[in-house]
Amino acid sequence: MISRTERTLNHAVLAVASILVVFPVIWFIFAALSPESSGRIDLTQLTWGNFATAWQAGSFGPAMFASAVITVGAVAGQTVLAILSGYAFGILGVIGQKVIFPIILLGLMISSEVFIIPLYYQFHAIGLTDTWLGLIIIQIGMGVPFGAFWMRATFRAVPPSLVEAAKIDGAHSWRILWQILFPIVRPATFTLVLLSFMWTWNDFFLALVFISDPSKQPATLALGVFQGQHTLNVNLMAAGSLIVALPVLLLYVFFQRHFIQGVISGAIKE
Amino acid sequence: MSLRTTSVRRPLAVAVRAAPRVRSRRRGWLGLAYAAPAIIAYGYVVIVPLLQSVNFSFYSWNGVTAARWVGISNYVSFFTDPALVESLWHVLVLIAFFSILPIVFGLISAALLGRGRVRGQGVYRWLLFLPQVLTSVVVAVIWKRIYGPDGPLNAALNAVGLGGLAHNWLGDFDWALPSLGLIGTWTALGFCMVLFVAGVTAIPDELYEQARMDGAGPVAEFFAVTLPGLRGQLAIAMTLTVTGALRAFDLVWITTQGGPGTSTTTPALLLYRKAFLNPDVGMAAAIGIVLAIFCLAIALVVNRLSEERDS
Repeated sequence: MISRTERTLNHAVLAVASILVVFPVIWFIFAALSPESSGRIDLTQLTWGNFATAWQAGSFGPAMFASAVITVGAVAGQTVLAILSGYAFGILGVIGQKVIFPIILLGLMISSEVFIIPLYYQFHAIGLTDTWLGLIIIQIGMGVPFGAFWMRATFRAVPPSLVEAAKIDGAHSWRILWQILFPIVRPATFTLVLLSFMWTWNDFFLALVFISDPSKQPATLALGVFQGQHTLNVNLMAAGSLIVALPVLLLYVFFQRHFIQGVISGAIKE
Repeated sequence: MSLRTTSVRRPLAVAVRAAPRVRSRRRGWLGLAYAAPAIIAYGYVVIVPLLQSVNFSFYSWNGVTAARWVGISNYVSFFTDPALVESLWHVLVLIAFFSILPIVFGLISAALLGRGRVRGQGVYRWLLFLPQVLTSVVVAVIWKRIYGPDGPLNAALNAVGLGGLAHNWLGDFDWALPSLGLIGTWTALGFCMVLFVAGVTAIPDELYEQARMDGAGPVAEFFAVTLPGLRGQLAIAMTLTVTGALRAFDLVWITTQGGPGTSTTTPALLLYRKAFLNPDVGMAAAIGIVLAIFCLAIALVVNRLSEERDS
């Protein structure tokens, strides 16, 4: 049993660290709600209109739509590929997996800078730069290492007897996957969906490289432009930032356990 | 990679041996069919361009006119090009802030917290982990504002009578890099704490009882039990934060773009400029390759160290 002083100390340590971490975010939220463009906090007149003004001025409408399209496309693709390849590597076994799987895992440790330059010229040649489809394709390909790694580990944790029993019943590999295994691995798949949503939505670098048409840029890129143009309107800048961060923050509020467990146990990526 | 896969690798060997040869061969082709979409996507987006990058890195090319073979001279630039050498020094400074500081603070707080469960732990965890889910752009915008000449940091310094210390933090040749670094500390601190605190709770009670019976004080106990028990978590934290420092781009791009002067340039920033702004594509590819080799080496070395002491 821990003593009272120990308990107080524990709370003190956690509270100090939490305040240090959260203070800048809170301050920013307050700035977004304040009427003054200097960024001075004034909560006596909550100015919700800042969000509408920022939304207009930064044309966040189209940008959020772009982010949504890219993210949904990428997450759907990544998830399907992760399930199929995780099933293949985790349960079925793959010809040459001793070579193939390590090469896939290699992708967990290298970052986009290494392959982005030739990819840019390749995409440029076939007209995929400045398109959402181009970004979706890149995100899907880049998501393979983590997806395969994550779903393979998940499928391996399923008791083999379940698969064996289904096979004896004459079920096909496709039916075994979707009718027997998928319901079991659904929670882990959901974690994967959340993580790839976050990673795709939060991407800045790929969008910066591949999207130059302002009418096609996703929200993170739009925010980068917006903050450069409105350095003197701190409250708008803060409001714009919160708009861009909101979708992931909302998911984080509801599914924090998935996020934290996912990032920590899959911490190899990034 | 094997940071986490070591635990799942052993059962694999057993399973493979147990399966009958012939059937597993047929299933292997079936498996390949299932894995094919992923392998093709990965090969097209990552592996083929990666190999092309290696090829690019031996050429001098401005992206338009014909490329010229230059051998390893792009790699030699890592020793001779002052801008590049400088950016590597910046990475070392960033590693201190992105990696060492948060890990040390994380360890100290994990030691102070000990093993008692604290009420409201979930709330603390949620708060501490928050910077991990914020997009780098938002983090950069927040801190750019905090560090601004008339931002809250200077206002606070003025308010407590330390106005003499106020700076234009990100616009100052000496302060810009450490200021950037502290943003990384802020981002990683909560992550390290959450990781280490979770790790401490997983250390078996017996080890602590044993240490206490041997008469170890809290400090000796930390070095004898807690620190070795956190090996795996330390390896993860080191790999992620060090490679994060090596790759630093988003933060730098939005806050300082490498300035003032060249005081906050990073290799990734130079890569972006050389690849897309004033093309020296071969050089950019070489930077990418070197970054990748560093990241791989760090992951492997850290992983090896953490496993060696394991056995």
